[in-house]
Amino acid sequence: MARDFRSYIARRLFYTLITIFLILTFNFLLFRVMPGDPFRIMVPKGADELTREHYMDHYGLDEPLIVQYFIYLGQTLTGHLGVSISKFPGSNVEDILGPYLENTMILAGLGTVLSIFVGIFLGRETAWRRGKMADRIGSAFFLVFYCMPTFLFALVLLMMFAHYIPEWPIRGSYGDEYFDLDLAGKLWDRTIHTALPLFALVIETIATFSIITRSSLIDVLTEEYMVTAVAKGLRGRQVLREHAMPNAMLPVVTVVAMNVGWIVSGSIMIEIIFSYRGLGVLTWDAVMAQDYPLVQAIFMLETVAVLIANFFADLMLFRLDPRLKI
Amino acid sequence: MKGASVGAPAARSLLPPRQREKLRLLTKSAKKIWNQFRKNRAGMVGLGILVIFFTIAIFAPWLATHEDPNSTSWAAINPIYAPPSLKFLFGTDYLGRDVYSLTLMGSRASLIVGVVASVISMVLGTLIGVFSGYYGKITDEILMRFTDFFLVIPWLPLMIVFVMLLGASFTNVIIVIGITSWPSTSRIVRAQVMSIKEHTFIERARCVGASDTRIVAKHILPNVFPLIFANTILLIANAIFSESFLAFFGLGDTQVISWGTMLERAYNSGAFTSFAWWYILAPGGCILILIMAFYLIGDALDEILNPKLRRR
Repeated sequence: MARDFRSYIARRLFYTLITIFLILTFNFLLFRVMPGDPFRIMVPKGADELTREHYMDHYGLDEPLIVQYFIYLGQTLTGHLGVSISKFPGSNVEDILGPYLENTMILAGLGTVLSIFVGIFLGRETAWRRGKMADRIGSAFFLVFYCMPTFLFALVLLMMFAHYIPEWPIRGSYGDEYFDLDLAGKLWDRTIHTALPLFALVIETIATFSIITRSSLIDVLTEEYMVTAVAKGLRGRQVLREHAMPNAMLPVVTVVAMNVGWIVSGSIMIEIIFSYRGLGVLTWDAVMAQDYPLVQAIFMLETVAVLIANFFADLMLFRLDPRLKI
Repeated sequence: MKGASVGAPAARSLLPPRQREKLRLLTKSAKKIWNQFRKNRAGMVGLGILVIFFTIAIFAPWLATHEDPNSTSWAAINPIYAPPSLKFLFGTDYLGRDVYSLTLMGSRASLIVGVVASVISMVLGTLIGVFSGYYGKITDEILMRFTDFFLVIPWLPLMIVFVMLLGASFTNVIIVIGITSWPSTSRIVRAQVMSIKEHTFIERARCVGASDTRIVAKHILPNVFPLIFANTILLIANAIFSESFLAFFGLGDTQVISWGTMLERAYNSGAFTSFAWWYILAPGGCILILIMAFYLIGDALDEILNPKLRRR
């Protein structure tokens, strides 16, 4: 079995690497070939002759496309993600990304963990109370928040807090005096700044996970082996915990895995609305400043992050589903 | 319903017998689905909302209380950020325009984008799904890797990048939404085609000498179509969301009034600090209700067409 697992990991890893390679290719083509003139895209507007030369050398823009492609691959794989042209003119993209990446990882990481736990919990409790008042109210809430665009909910939240609790910080990932605070103060400052964006981010994924857990669990609870479990004298909660939940988890894990990418997308919306200084805000600023190399690098980073998350989700699915171990 | 059944037989008798038979079968299966759908309360609620929204979109110019809400001269006449009243049903915006009239006009853009973009991705998804499911082997392998690739790319950044590179116009937004949301459709279609092509009637058709094109067009597509239809309904909900998202972040056509551009205007013109909740609630509420309507219908259709999971 251990060997199965190892060969499964190897196979998945292989596929993941191929996809990353494809993504790099796609990313290269998207920005080099599509709109036509690579100069417009990779070189700052109104640059003088010397700067143009410099950029041309850097990306090999006067070489054939295939050579440019290998230059791009080589640079990316050695950690050179390009040079920003308008947002931070002249800076290496990889030097800019750090703090933004950190903020996004805090938001998206906490968001993922929180929505998995709360979502599964709510789905389980509503399924257990199927048809009762709590289930009806809960399901109605799930439906509304499932359909609610994340940015819309964030907007409403922002407006409410700005109006009713004006003291609450609604912008930025930390306050102005953040760097003068001690550790506890920093932590508190962070928490209070992250709370609203986090809430806005998780509400939709919580609803999604609740809906899938609930329907999957209801399917399982009506199976005949549930009747058997009750007939042999197990108490209700015990049946739920030991027999129903493990079998209901498979579709849940699949949906969770599919939604990891969604959390990345969602955090972009949330970050922009709450001016939370993460990759989303950076994407936004870069798009507005037409800073193509920066956009290209962020896009690559986001896609690869989703891919890696999917890889781990697949491993978890393998652990949970014995049928995959053939 | 009554009017249609009176006119139908006359029209039907004009067709050659083979076509007539086909039309009969088609209406029969549509009727069967409709009869099941009618019993689904949530689905009917969604359909009702949808009918109301389409009616509003069609008759928007006549329902609007203020003519040409897009002209900016209103600031001189109307108060700015006036709360809802009898004169301004949903209040006014930062230029003194009537939000009620804007919301009505905005329904058109949102519905057009939703429907057209979904049709694009339906066609793309169906083509790729049918090819891959029908031919199998290496075709399938290549097309499915391609699909998985698009499935795994986070689609919001992808849309942003596409719109940035192509330029933000109304048609470009539609195209970009269309070409980024087909992967789930092609997966569903592929699975369905694979199961249908194992049936004996496909083998029979092949023995009689039918070409691949004919088999796909005459035998496979009609059987996959209901599922594609249900999937498209869900795609529309997604497309409406995408449009409002892109427009909200300034990547839409600013000349077009849509619910997304309204929200963008509200966000960037101080509706928050003025607590002009009507300016956000009107377009935002419409987006939410419309998406919910499509979701309810799609879900109900899904339940009818995939009964194996839900019979209990």
